[in-house]
Amino acid sequence: MPTKTVQHPLQIHIQGLMKRYHRQPVLNQLSFTIASGNFCLLVGDNGAGKTTLLRILAGLVRPSQGEITCCGSLPGVDTEIRRLIGYVGHKPMLYQDLTALENLCHYAELYQIHNTKVKVSQAIQSFGLTAHQDQPVRTLSRGMQQRLSLARATLHNPVILLLDEPYTGLDQQAARLLDETLQNWHSQDRIILLAAHRPQRLLSIASHVAWLKEGYISTHVPVAELSTTPSLRRYLQEVA
Amino acid sequence: MPKKPDLLIILDILALILILTALVVIFVFTPIEAIMGSVQKVFYFHVSSAWAGMVCFILGAVGGTGYLLTRRIRWDWLSSAAIEVGLIFSIIAILSGMIWARPIWNTWWVWDPRLTTTAIMTLIYGAYFILRTGLNTSEARARLGAVYAILAVLTVPLTFFSIRLFRTIHPVVIATGSETGSAFSMSPRMLTALLLSLLTFTILLTVLVWHRYRLAQLQSEINPEAA
Amino acid sequence: MKALHNYLHVLWQVVRKDIQVEWRGRQGLPVMLVFALMIVFLFNFALQLSPELQAGLTSGLLWVSLAFASTLGLNRSISLERESSALDGLLMAPVARSAIFFGKALGNFGFTTLVGLLLLPLFSLFYGQNLLKPSLVLVMLLGLGAYTSLGTLLSSLSIQSRTRDILLPVLLYPLALPILIAAVEASRGVLSGQALGDQRSWLYLLLAGLLLFNAAGLLFFETILEE
Repeated sequence: MPTKTVQHPLQIHIQGLMKRYHRQPVLNQLSFTIASGNFCLLVGDNGAGKTTLLRILAGLVRPSQGEITCCGSLPGVDTEIRRLIGYVGHKPMLYQDLTALENLCHYAELYQIHNTKVKVSQAIQSFGLTAHQDQPVRTLSRGMQQRLSLARATLHNPVILLLDEPYTGLDQQAARLLDETLQNWHSQDRIILLAAHRPQRLLSIASHVAWLKEGYISTHVPVAELSTTPSLRRYLQEVA
Repeated sequence: MPKKPDLLIILDILALILILTALVVIFVFTPIEAIMGSVQKVFYFHVSSAWAGMVCFILGAVGGTGYLLTRRIRWDWLSSAAIEVGLIFSIIAILSGMIWARPIWNTWWVWDPRLTTTAIMTLIYGAYFILRTGLNTSEARARLGAVYAILAVLTVPLTFFSIRLFRTIHPVVIATGSETGSAFSMSPRMLTALLLSLLTFTILLTVLVWHRYRLAQLQSEINPEAA
Repeated sequence: MKALHNYLHVLWQVVRKDIQVEWRGRQGLPVMLVFALMIVFLFNFALQLSPELQAGLTSGLLWVSLAFASTLGLNRSISLERESSALDGLLMAPVARSAIFFGKALGNFGFTTLVGLLLLPLFSLFYGQNLLKPSLVLVMLLGLGAYTSLGTLLSSLSIQSRTRDILLPVLLYPLALPILIAAVEASRGVLSGQALGDQRSWLYLLLAGLLLFNAAGLLFFETILEE
């Protein structure tokens, strides 16, 4: 299926977002806008709420309060809007007993992609999985699983890509491949939001940095203007 | 901690007075049943506990529905409080039923529809607390507890109907149609005592649920993620 | 129309994927079948069944072994989704999430029914009684349909608890009791040579369960899985 015609401009807009697990807020009055073409790094300490924010945007967690719109609607409610979103979480979201190829075919069917076969084999090729396509996922290395996970998340050609610590467990080579993939995938009509605990290596390819602190975005600047925010710069140096 | 509401204080006292009055009415002013003898007196509180248990479980489902609609934790306090109190009432109903069954049916336990339904209900709601114990956040406990509480109430009629079809020897107090055979007839004074007991237990369950609700409120003030 | 088409497509894809996983791993069906047979053998010795006794107990044995065995399948089916969070992938599919529930329920129903159908000739062999009757198959379809939809719903609850697979039987058996009673009784009637029409009340009860639990799945599945 070709991407849905988008009436609204491509952007993620968050207004006054709260996520409480009853009394304790994980996200507190978070407001934030990501425009089309942005490759935004979401930085912050462990437990700052990065995962929760991404999962809310992916429609997997229900916000307690506030407005979030991806291209005009809420991913948890508007089922069609989910076509626009690709998500790579902590776990690969793959069936361990199925082969790489079967997993991708399964996801292609969920999104009812046209020419499943062609699209899937393209994805297998571009993520360098050809040699492993008929192996059960269980037997693949962590790096291979992560590549497959990325192939899965981008298979339906989403315009918004959400990644949660995608570098965890990757070796140097796999990490470089991921850098390249993200760089290639990044374009004017797409959004990437990538949560990273240690974002140093990505500063050269990302366009923006957003700092999630105490449940809200305390700083959100283009990478080029990092020098104007000494506190964020100091933080990035600290975690490096 | 919010101040104890005046209405609750009044209800506390009312419950106490009603229980004492009901006991006096049952033991002094109500005739001894001709065939069953004095053990029949268990019947008033037995029926009332079963009634109170049922009301509590329905209240639990109402609280659950309220929570799912509003996502306000106080509905969960109501739901879990009601189910906890309901569980106690059901156990009382089962135990008093057994005390009554021993001399009348000559056995502690009979696989009769109401008794069995009540026992199954106790298991179902016992499982409710097992489910809650295994969940990590108060949000998950409230959300999943609510779904379970609603599901549980919906299956109770099915359970009752199935066991009823299976076998029936329980005396039907309010006889309908073909069931008159096993009904025993109540004198007007017995009926009065029963109605008084029902009222007493309704007030009692309200008081207990209310207190348990306030306890849950207090617990969440001290530690929002516990209990 | 297109939304409905997407919905059914995803529903079917969930079933297809479950069949594929089963074909690759072969970890569900064989385990269920062997477990069901083990229960039959255990009961045979534990209860010292004589041939006369067996005749009346066949239907009960059949359903108890099916009920226990299908718990394994239900747990396997949901833990499959939980391993490496594949369920999140399903939840992000662009359709209403109840499609996933119906897909999982249909898969569970299919596998359990297959085990049931395999048990019929084996039971006929063991107990010298013909169980290969269309009317018994109908009872089985209805009974297992209701049982596995409730099981699927409850497995999505239990999987979120710390106790996981251990919790499912505790939640499932008491709530499924009316279904099991109705299924056992209808099967017993059919096996003793009565017409299917005589089992009408039991069949209605099974149908009521089937509708109720699927409606609950439609209504609550998303709530259960959304944090």
